[in-house]
Amino acid sequence: MEVEIKVRRFNGEKSYWQKYRVPVLSGMTVLDALLYIKENIDATLSFRYSCRMGVCGSCAVKINNKPRLACETQILQLKDVQIEPINNFRVIKDLITDFDDFFAKHRIVKPYLIRKNDSYEKPVEMIQTPKQLKKYYRYSLCIKCGACNSVCPVSSTRDDYLGPAIMTTVYRFMTDNRDEGKDERFKIVSSERGVWRCHFASECSEVCPKNVEPAKAVQKLRIKSIIYEIKKFFK
Amino acid sequence: MLVDWFRIKGRSLHSLAFSFHRLTGIVLMIYLILHLTYLTSLRFGKESYEYLISLTVRPETLPFDLLLLLATVFHGVNGIRLVIHELGFVYEKRNLILYLTFGIVLIVWLYAGYLMFLLIMG
Ligand code: SF4
Ligand code: FES
Repeated sequence: MEVEIKVRRFNGEKSYWQKYRVPVLSGMTVLDALLYIKENIDATLSFRYSCRMGVCGSCAVKINNKPRLACETQILQLKDVQIEPINNFRVIKDLITDFDDFFAKHRIVKPYLIRKNDSYEKPVEMIQTPKQLKKYYRYSLCIKCGACNSVCPVSSTRDDYLGPAIMTTVYRFMTDNRDEGKDERFKIVSSERGVWRCHFASECSEVCPKNVEPAKAVQKLRIKSIIYEIKKFFK
Repeated sequence: MLVDWFRIKGRSLHSLAFSFHRLTGIVLMIYLILHLTYLTSLRFGKESYEYLISLTVRPETLPFDLLLLLATVFHGVNGIRLVIHELGFVYEKRNLILYLTFGIVLIVWLYAGYLMFLLIMG
């Protein structure tokens, strides 16, 4: 069986649609189809991927107007196949978008455990109960695919807005009992590029391929920020 | 880009609600300016105010009034929904609450529209 695949291409100057006919088999993903095109029809087609199994987050593209992981989308489950780069990211070539700013924002919020007295000479085991783990586990599943940021209407109009993925990362560390960097992170998420910008369109949660629920993380972070601001006021 | 506020293709009903909320917010702001203009006209006497009212409160403008009413009801009810969620409540039930919001808006709008119809058409 053959399927027609429409791909939005960009050559650095102009953007245009290109159609390809690809023989498909059951079990074939959109990423497999793109690889087929690249290897057999058009070697100039550019796209990003790495793990091929929904772990690295590199292959997020817009499939039939919805951001999805190309490696996790079965082609036979779609009627027509239309592939575009995700929104809110600058397109570099064809389906490849620029993630530099996205990762730079991640670095700003310090996406790692901050410990005040960490000793590498005498390391201490940081024991955690299943209950403590459960608090942030879901949010630690984020694979940084950018799908949530690509549908966020605030991210589309404000470049400085941190966006749902980054704030989910913040929430993940804020709720980890081993972390001691709350004050540093509050300063960032409670600033005008943080939680107050969110207007709860909640589309981020609708498209997240890992069901991380970024919209929930942002709202929870908002409550924490309100408490933080009140406490700061009375200090 | 600003058009992204109104992007609904391939998106869920939540994005539709967001777009409507923005749109109705803009409409209400324009209405507020007009409303304040009307009230300010009172400073120039009762006649100028009544003249302005006679321009807009009549059967021909009823469809616009109904649309304005829809914008007001939607913005208000959806606003309450947003405040509830933004304070971290009932997030898991967000789909149900969204349907409820649309339902409440429709009922309130139809009823208020009926009253408005009676008022203007006599
Ligand atoms: S929260 Fe979900 S959609 Fe957003 S980057 Fe992480 S995995 Fe992707
Ligand atoms: S290739 Fe890694 S998530 Fe798709």
